[in-house]
Amino acid sequence: MTGKSNKTAESGLDWVSVAIFFGLMIIGWLNIYAAVFDESATGGFTFSSRYGSQLVWIGICTLAAIVIMLIDEIYYHVLAYPIYFLMLLVLLVTLAVGTTVNGAQSWLRIGGFSVQPAEFAKFATALALARYMSSYSFSMSDWKSKLAAAAIFGVPMVIILLQNDAGSAIVFASFLVVFYREGFNGWFYVAAGMLVFLFVFSFIWTPTVLLAAIIVICTAIEGIMNGGWKRNIRYLAAVGFVSATICLAASLISGRVLDYYWFLLGSALASLAAVGIYAWRTTLYNIFISIGMLVGSIAFTGMVDAVFAHMKLHQQKRILNLLGVESDPQFWGYNVNQSKIAIGSGGFFGKGYLQGTQTKYDFVPEQSTDFIFCTVGEEWGFVGSVIVLGLFCWLILRLIRMGERQQEAFGRVYCYGVAAIFLFHVLVNVGMTIGIMPVIGIPLPLFSYGGSSLLAFTLLFFVAVKLDSHGREGIARSRNLQ
Amino acid sequence: MNNRAKIISLAVVAAFAILVLRLFYIQVIDSSYKYDAQNNVLRREVQHPPRGEVYDRNGELLVRSIASYDLMAIPRDVKEFDTLTLARIAGVTPEKLKQELAKAANYSRRRPSVIVKQMSLESKLLFDEGDFSGFYTVYRTMRSYPRKIAGNLLGYISEVDAATIERDDYYQTGDYRGMSGIELTYEDVLRGEKGISVSVVDVHGITKGPYMDGAADIRAVPGKAITTSLDARLQELGEELMEGKVGSIIAIEPSTGEILVMVSSPGYDPDELVGRDRGNNYMKLLGNPRRPLFNRGVMSRYPPGSTFKVVNGLMALQEGSVTGNQKYPCHGGYTVGRGLKCHNHFSPVNMRQAVQTSCNTYFCYVFRDFIDNQKFGDPKQALDVWNEYLYSFGFGRSLDSDLSGELSGYVPTREYYDKAYHKRWNSLTILSLSIGQGELGCTPLQMANLATIIANRGYYYTPHIVKRIEGRDSIDSRFYERHRTMVESRHFDVIVDGMYDAVHKTGGTGWRAYVPGLDICGKTGTAENPHGADHSTFMCFAPKDDPKIAVSVYVEHGGFGGSVAAPIASLIIEQYLTDTITRPEMVDAVKQTTIPYPYYDRQK
Repeated sequence: MTGKSNKTAESGLDWVSVAIFFGLMIIGWLNIYAAVFDESATGGFTFSSRYGSQLVWIGICTLAAIVIMLIDEIYYHVLAYPIYFLMLLVLLVTLAVGTTVNGAQSWLRIGGFSVQPAEFAKFATALALARYMSSYSFSMSDWKSKLAAAAIFGVPMVIILLQNDAGSAIVFASFLVVFYREGFNGWFYVAAGMLVFLFVFSFIWTPTVLLAAIIVICTAIEGIMNGGWKRNIRYLAAVGFVSATICLAASLISGRVLDYYWFLLGSALASLAAVGIYAWRTTLYNIFISIGMLVGSIAFTGMVDAVFAHMKLHQQKRILNLLGVESDPQFWGYNVNQSKIAIGSGGFFGKGYLQGTQTKYDFVPEQSTDFIFCTVGEEWGFVGSVIVLGLFCWLILRLIRMGERQQEAFGRVYCYGVAAIFLFHVLVNVGMTIGIMPVIGIPLPLFSYGGSSLLAFTLLFFVAVKLDSHGREGIARSRNLQ
Repeated sequence: MNNRAKIISLAVVAAFAILVLRLFYIQVIDSSYKYDAQNNVLRREVQHPPRGEVYDRNGELLVRSIASYDLMAIPRDVKEFDTLTLARIAGVTPEKLKQELAKAANYSRRRPSVIVKQMSLESKLLFDEGDFSGFYTVYRTMRSYPRKIAGNLLGYISEVDAATIERDDYYQTGDYRGMSGIELTYEDVLRGEKGISVSVVDVHGITKGPYMDGAADIRAVPGKAITTSLDARLQELGEELMEGKVGSIIAIEPSTGEILVMVSSPGYDPDELVGRDRGNNYMKLLGNPRRPLFNRGVMSRYPPGSTFKVVNGLMALQEGSVTGNQKYPCHGGYTVGRGLKCHNHFSPVNMRQAVQTSCNTYFCYVFRDFIDNQKFGDPKQALDVWNEYLYSFGFGRSLDSDLSGELSGYVPTREYYDKAYHKRWNSLTILSLSIGQGELGCTPLQMANLATIIANRGYYYTPHIVKRIEGRDSIDSRFYERHRTMVESRHFDVIVDGMYDAVHKTGGTGWRAYVPGLDICGKTGTAENPHGADHSTFMCFAPKDDPKIAVSVYVEHGGFGGSVAAPIASLIIEQYLTDTITRPEMVDAVKQTTIPYPYYDRQK
């Protein structure tokens, strides 16, 4: 590591990161106070209010952080699997006897408390993944290893999905960032990008246009790989001409206008046989990648349509609304619209603390939980929003750096896991409030009201800090020995 | 640092940069969210001011404002409610209430509609006690008329129509506005200024308190009271005297131009145009062929008749085409050309005697001497001069008073006669102008103004009904401007003497207007018209020296001017100057005089 970060190395603890963490937690609490603040309410401060109980949780988290720092780091390594399997058990129990909130059976009542096991499952999964991916038997080039690693975050993801808590489930996809760091094939991420493209445009473009786009893209990729543009253009012209001619002829014979889509699809698939023979003869085998992409893309768009058709109406609406295809401010777009109004009305400097009219008078739904960022945007303005986002970004970059300076793969994988979870939560949550992400009900770390989430992020973060401090203590020790 | 770690770090920074850019767009660049935010939380309620009241010159209340409340509803916000209770409070049937609510929902679910108009304060208080979500009341001013006089002079208020709302930002659906008379002319004074109270509401529309502690509120400014120049008791007497007759009485204070009386008969009880029966009553008044909604004082055009002779006399004296001592013989009429008949009186007469006896012949001579006077060149140029004189007397154009709907009357010009007679006309062709007949048209206000001019010996102030506006030092400056006629003061004496004699001497046409000691000077008129019997008119002022009141009475189809109009005028003057009536039998006689109006009543 660079010399700059070694200033705090003597203590072993990354005090800057800890300060950012608690800074965000305090700012978060101030915003919960603002979100539930009601001038007309009498009686002053009470622990039964949301800001009161959140303050209690902050106290609990602080204690938890201290306890984590006191436990020897070896236990996290040793207990990674037991914790993970215990967590799976709890998730299954929740699935069986959990309490349903907002349609998701994801809460477990213990005494007077309600906890959301899915929040803690992230911690357990991060530990287990770190343990597995740091083991000697793990290799990124080995399919079994990759599948097993994917299963470690896939299993809790599926259980949580079964709890009907799609938002929390999707968070587990953030472990893919860890995979990339550990050497997973970059093409996978390109393919994922293609899938996102197909997914988005399958709602915006008509099937025919989308199909034409797929054919053109796949032909273009072939062109990039093998060079030689003329034959690609000839191929496209031939497919277009043949399909159009047949469509026209069939329409004339049958006496009605037939959908061109099926003729284009038929021509494209029929041409694949010829293309395959061409590839074989010319020994340009990578043409098969293009063929595979074409078939895969067509299959994927068909799947998207099929899945969409089976979705619940509100989910369909949310997707359409997010993609800007449909927008109805009174119904599904209401949350996002009100949230954008609140944040947008904050302006550059904001309306001032406790002065936000939109949040104070309940125009923004879920404003102390999922939409807590509205209070930041409205009362602190662009300046405040950028400061908060900047702190999050800084914290995540520091977590990445913590991972990089780990001497063992265990710590690195774990730190990356924590960074990825923070990143995913912040991007999706804030993106949702400003209308560039789908409305997925996941909390903003350290800001959203809720003890489970706060405690889970504390666990995630402080174990990373603990692992980091151990590593640096080692460095310091070895330096002292010299 | 590991290569992939760098890529990941870059991706993290890029992702945050996208969020920041998006935030910059919606928070700093796009301002639409700020308006949306305001619309979300701020509720602006219009505060309606009470309408200004109207008083007579002695401080008697003519038009009072009483609080009334319109029941409004926003159909979207209406929750389940007790129809029977609300209907009882509002004083309508439950069916009517449901019907109005359905109509409102049909119009708009989000915009307020009037459900029940003009509820009393008691109803409003009862309403406030109940819980009727989606309903609210709006303050409106209702008018009431303690004296029940001068309906068509005061005018009425009525709900604004769509066109007015479109044209004028001030008005909104359900607002009231002056539609005629003083209510219309002084609308912007009487209506006051609407206020706005801004309150903060939460997502449920529940008021959380005033916005910025009320600093953003605009307080409603009540309408200003108007003190009119009207004398309520005189007006009331005038209206009584005009019962059964169609026509008008106008009295003006010569020294100021203030209108003391303006009766237009038939009138109506102004209270009829208030409240829930307003619509029916209005249609009834509108359908009345005698047109009670019509302020005849300024909105009708009559031939002036013989009262106009004095104008011809005055301008001839000014131009020197005749002198006060010039005598002309009269033996039953003027005989040149088609001629003009005259009634029986002594002969020969000078100017003063011609006014006293209302001699047609004399004024034919005077008129022809004027028109054919060599100094003007030809008769056409002489008519131009004649026109100028009339304009200076306030004829042929609107006097620009503060009465709504004032007509300009009509003065024929050379262009008119050139067209009518193919340019072949002379003083004989237009001889009927000499005695105030022919194409001449005057409003009763212009005739009253003529009486004022003679009383003032040559000038007038624009007649007006407003005397004082609450909170203002003065009324419109045009009412302080003295308008001089083209005739010098010294020429008026002989005419005034003639009018004095007309009332005071035997052989005078206005003898019925005589009241001992009041020195009334008057001139009768008997205006021929194509609709039936002659109109009876009388123009007068008193006292002769230092006049206090000038009056013009016009009774349609009343016959000879001295018979009906003169007694009415004298009673008005007597009441005004002495505050008593010494001839109650004359009051009764006038009141009992009912004139038939086949011309109007046939139209039914």
